[in-house]
Amino acid sequence: MNRLWMAVSAMALVLLGVHLTACKQSSDPAASEDIPIGVYLSLSGANADFGVTTKNGIDLAVDEINAAGGIGGKKIRVIAKDTRSKPEEAQTVAKQLATQDKVVAAIGSVESGQSIKAAPVFQEAGIPMVSPSSTNPDVTKQGDRIFRVCYLDDFQGQACADFAFKDMKATKAGLLYAADDDYSKGLAGFFRDHFRKLGGEIVAEATFQGDVSEFKDQVSAVAAKAPAVVFVPVYYSKIGLIAREFRKQGFKGPLLGGDGWESEQLVQLAGETLEGCYFGYHYDPEDSDSKVQGYIKGYREKFKKEPNSLSALGYDAVYAIKQAIELGGGASRDQITEGLRKIKGFKGVTGTFDIDENRNARKPITMLKIGGTDLKKVKVIQPGDIK
Amino acid sequence: MDFTQLLQNMTNGVAKGSCYALVAVGYTMVYGVLQLINFAHSDVYMLGAYFAYWPAKWMGYLPDEKGGRAQDVPLALVGLFVVGSMVACAAVGALIERAAYRPLRNSGRLAPLITAIGVSLLLEYGGQMVFGTEPRLFPTFVEAQSYDVGGVKFANTSIIIVVTAAVLMGALTLFVNHTRQGRALRAVSHSFNNARLMGINVNATITMTFMLGSSLAAVGGILVAMDQPTITPLMGLRMGLKAFVAAVLGGIGSIPGAALGGLLLGVSESVVAYWSTTYSEAVAFLILIGVLLVRPAGILGSAAREKV
Repeated sequence: MNRLWMAVSAMALVLLGVHLTACKQSSDPAASEDIPIGVYLSLSGANADFGVTTKNGIDLAVDEINAAGGIGGKKIRVIAKDTRSKPEEAQTVAKQLATQDKVVAAIGSVESGQSIKAAPVFQEAGIPMVSPSSTNPDVTKQGDRIFRVCYLDDFQGQACADFAFKDMKATKAGLLYAADDDYSKGLAGFFRDHFRKLGGEIVAEATFQGDVSEFKDQVSAVAAKAPAVVFVPVYYSKIGLIAREFRKQGFKGPLLGGDGWESEQLVQLAGETLEGCYFGYHYDPEDSDSKVQGYIKGYREKFKKEPNSLSALGYDAVYAIKQAIELGGGASRDQITEGLRKIKGFKGVTGTFDIDENRNARKPITMLKIGGTDLKKVKVIQPGDIK
Repeated sequence: MDFTQLLQNMTNGVAKGSCYALVAVGYTMVYGVLQLINFAHSDVYMLGAYFAYWPAKWMGYLPDEKGGRAQDVPLALVGLFVVGSMVACAAVGALIERAAYRPLRNSGRLAPLITAIGVSLLLEYGGQMVFGTEPRLFPTFVEAQSYDVGGVKFANTSIIIVVTAAVLMGALTLFVNHTRQGRALRAVSHSFNNARLMGINVNATITMTFMLGSSLAAVGGILVAMDQPTITPLMGLRMGLKAFVAAVLGGIGSIPGAALGGLLLGVSESVVAYWSTTYSEAVAFLILIGVLLVRPAGILGSAAREKV
């Protein structure tokens, strides 16, 4: 009995301690003198590369802004949380950011599944959220404070279908996707609808569920129908395994994917098996625009690495919030939300865009071809190109 | 119906099932001796892959981030890595048994079961801390090659999996049935006290059981990583579930049962996938429930004999 009481009182003490530190943080006078922005990303786990590269882009933008004196004399303070690549964890850390860290705006996440889980938390707390690269249409439907600075999956799926049909001259396509993932399933659906509309035929569809690494049956099902192209809208940690399995089963046709393929690890995980395959990308690194080239130079200097489009979108998300603070007239949650709604002709690294009435960005997609260890731009598809 | 395609799926299923079988043996051996479901077993499988990954990485057999082609690991070194990983995993298995299960030997069946779950979580989350959570490329132990026999396609890695699994399971059966240690193992599994009266060192026999099972799991981990060269600290989760089900299906406690259960599970999954890849696992598990309703002890399991 004594032991039980000891345990209970110890727990009570710990909880009290947590509560006290939480209170202390929120009454910290320094908090009102800077701009606390919450960031939630997959900094570890299966998709760690997504979170880390996006965070790099965010850090680069924040450092630039703070070095130039901040926004109206206030410096940005980033509070970053790790979702460990799990949608449920995104919801948990969103609650922490909203209640304990008292952020005025949030940036996150890359994976649509995470953004969809976290968005209602921020919406309820009155915090504007900007997703850098969640492309599923449902993300910004979660509430009128949820924004994004990337294109949407309906456009991405259509653009990929357009590219497959018109540029790759494929009339028969296969699909392989994750049935339990918002991003993968959504993108596959948009591709399927548009490819059929164009006159193409989906000859095979296979799905998997959960964190699997074995795709023999799925690949057999698709390869048996000999499609001219296979659309595989999955994340980078899976595409390497899927591509290897396709080649092992003797399928030599090209694979096509969305922005989820993007990672520094892509070529390493897939080896030579993705040679000659294509995927969609958020910006054009060959753009001679000074903003783009300045960003690439700044990124190389700070991280000693090549930037990619996820880091570019993280970078743009921060500058979008900066512009919103200037447009809204202050850094409160409501002012930033108002400011974000007013953004027109935003000049970012990933292109010039408006935030439309559905809080989405209308932007082009760049199709890249994988060759050896290089990614080569083959086509830029504008939203107006899709009919 | 497309028979080539169906045959293709069955071929896939045999390769998958052989891996399930290799891991299932570990569950079944420990259960046969201790009536304990060693949930940590599938995490030893994960460790097996990592124990082969690290030395290969240190010796520079991984491509760099730019994707430059890495050398394939020479065959002699592959053998060394595999044996090294088996030894390391055997040591981990023995350690788990000594630290987590032996102190609870006389405290009913529930306590060690809970401890087993604890050890499993420790290895999974400890693994995430030590190895990092990001997926890692497994070095090329065998250059992938594909064959086409009458329209049925399979890779050399699948053949290696099936052959290795068959050889190891055969060796294990010989060991259990035809050696002194194997006889000791069977005796301990029959009754601790009687075995002790016959002069058998019960604790040493149990440790040996864990070491055997763990080294087989290590081979399983390496074989799967060779076929699907991306490893993560949580790769044991799904394999553990499948292998455990395979062991129950074949009759837990029976070594041939584990082999049969693994193959049956793998093949039924793949055959269902002929019609639908989405529901293949659900339907395969339904079949299992059906089998267990008819034969609760599993296909090759004997009806439980109460120990007196």
